[in-house]
Amino acid sequence: MSWQILVNGLVNAALIAPPAIALSLIFGVMRFPNFAIGGYITVGAFFAYAVNVDLGAPIWLAAIAAMIGTAVVVWLSDALVFRPMQGRGPVTLLVLSIALTLILEHIVRLFYGADVRGFDLPLQRPYRFGDIRITQEQIEIIVLAIAIAAITHLILQYTRTGKAVRATADNPMLAQVRGIDTGWIILLTWLYCGMLFGLTGVLAGLDLVIEPLVGWYLTIPIFAAAILGGIGSPYGAMLGALLVGLAEELTVLILPSTYKIGVGFVIIAILLLVRPQGLLGRPEIKK
Amino acid sequence: MMADAILRASGVYAGYGRGDIIHGVSVEARPGEIVTVIGPNGAGKSTLIKTIAGLLSPRLGTVAIGDEEIGGLPAPAVARRGIAFVPQEANVFRQLTVAENLEMGAWTDQDRKDERLDKVHALFPVLAERRHVRAGNLSGGQRQMVAFGMAMMVEPRVLLLDEPSAGLSPTMVEQMFEIVKGVNQTGVAVLMVEQNAIQALKISRRGYVMAAGKVALEDAADNLLQNKEISELYLGSRV
Repeated sequence: MSWQILVNGLVNAALIAPPAIALSLIFGVMRFPNFAIGGYITVGAFFAYAVNVDLGAPIWLAAIAAMIGTAVVVWLSDALVFRPMQGRGPVTLLVLSIALTLILEHIVRLFYGADVRGFDLPLQRPYRFGDIRITQEQIEIIVLAIAIAAITHLILQYTRTGKAVRATADNPMLAQVRGIDTGWIILLTWLYCGMLFGLTGVLAGLDLVIEPLVGWYLTIPIFAAAILGGIGSPYGAMLGALLVGLAEELTVLILPSTYKIGVGFVIIAILLLVRPQGLLGRPEIKK
Repeated sequence: MMADAILRASGVYAGYGRGDIIHGVSVEARPGEIVTVIGPNGAGKSTLIKTIAGLLSPRLGTVAIGDEEIGGLPAPAVARRGIAFVPQEANVFRQLTVAENLEMGAWTDQDRKDERLDKVHALFPVLAERRHVRAGNLSGGQRQMVAFGMAMMVEPRVLLLDEPSAGLSPTMVEQMFEIVKGVNQTGVAVLMVEQNAIQALKISRRGYVMAAGKVALEDAADNLLQNKEISELYLGSRV
């Protein structure tokens, strides 16, 4: 029983780790909390649904299409919504992002209604290890999350562009003075994160269900993970996702599972009181 | 004489949107010289240097490097044309290591990066020792070396320095000016803005005195140092 909870917690963590990393990266270069992530994830899930179910393509092809499609939506949302309003302050951008997530969600509803759907996949028996059950999809989710964390790490630490992303997040004015085209770096960050949100939509569709609110259900745990780790720190986001993922499942031991959704809120509330910079974050330096 | 200038700002008006801070300022730097702009706080020295670096757009007037007009170009484009600006504050990437900072310094010019890194390490041996330390964890003096080293990772045509001695201990200030001199001797023109007027003028060929957003006086550095009126107005407190 308890080992099963651990496995469920890991799957949960693996689902929220990539978007938490993406949220942190975007916060780093844009300096506002982007609540449109729920909309992006939903859009990703339905892109994949359209390609997999409506067009009959295999799920891996649908996942690639969803990543590209979502990256384009994310890029458009930056070009049409956030960029024109840059300089209006983080609160304005935050409110805009909430509006954007509602708009994206309702565009999806326009085409697909509010029904709960699933991908067209052959049913498979879960693997059994003693008492523990785990499905093929859950294993894939964990492997992909680890791969994404590793790839993100390699890009940020060892590529010129990745270092420029960190430099831009650290000190945008200095980055420009050193000749870095920060507009281009921010665009690349959006596109990379857009692909992660699209993939998250697909994985959520595999593990949970596909419906217009699927992104919204994940938004709070993703924010909790990013804030727990120290928003703006992608490594913190990985750690935060692991802790939030496990915490959500462990509460099932002591509380009815309907309270699971509240865990993220509780974590955010405690952190903002005790350690607002997060576990791996640094306090804001005020001059 | 005028045609010799490698960097020239002419009749520049600029500010932060709510009216101009500098009004018709003209300064120039010629190849191989150190030029210092002095003046009291609020005279517009920083505004001038930020306008040259491309962080502010001149509302009127021109900025040119060689024969090319750069006024109004964004900062990355100005950097690509060989102007290396070292801001006064927040002039390192705190979360990046020393080595990564220097690598970002070479962003616009990847050729001979290793050779230049050796030069920077020769200039500041401590940066080689501490290359894996995050710049935010360094002392103020070492951070200033990183900031300087980053600018030296390209072969700049002009080095722009905003108060290079600010926040340094007296011994470090002396070292800093020695470094500026050393860099200049490699053939780089230096335009700096300084509160620490006497020491800055001592290593400079020429100087400008700014007051209330205008150039009040322009002369050879030696003459400015001997000018009674100037020393009473601007140099006195720092002797």
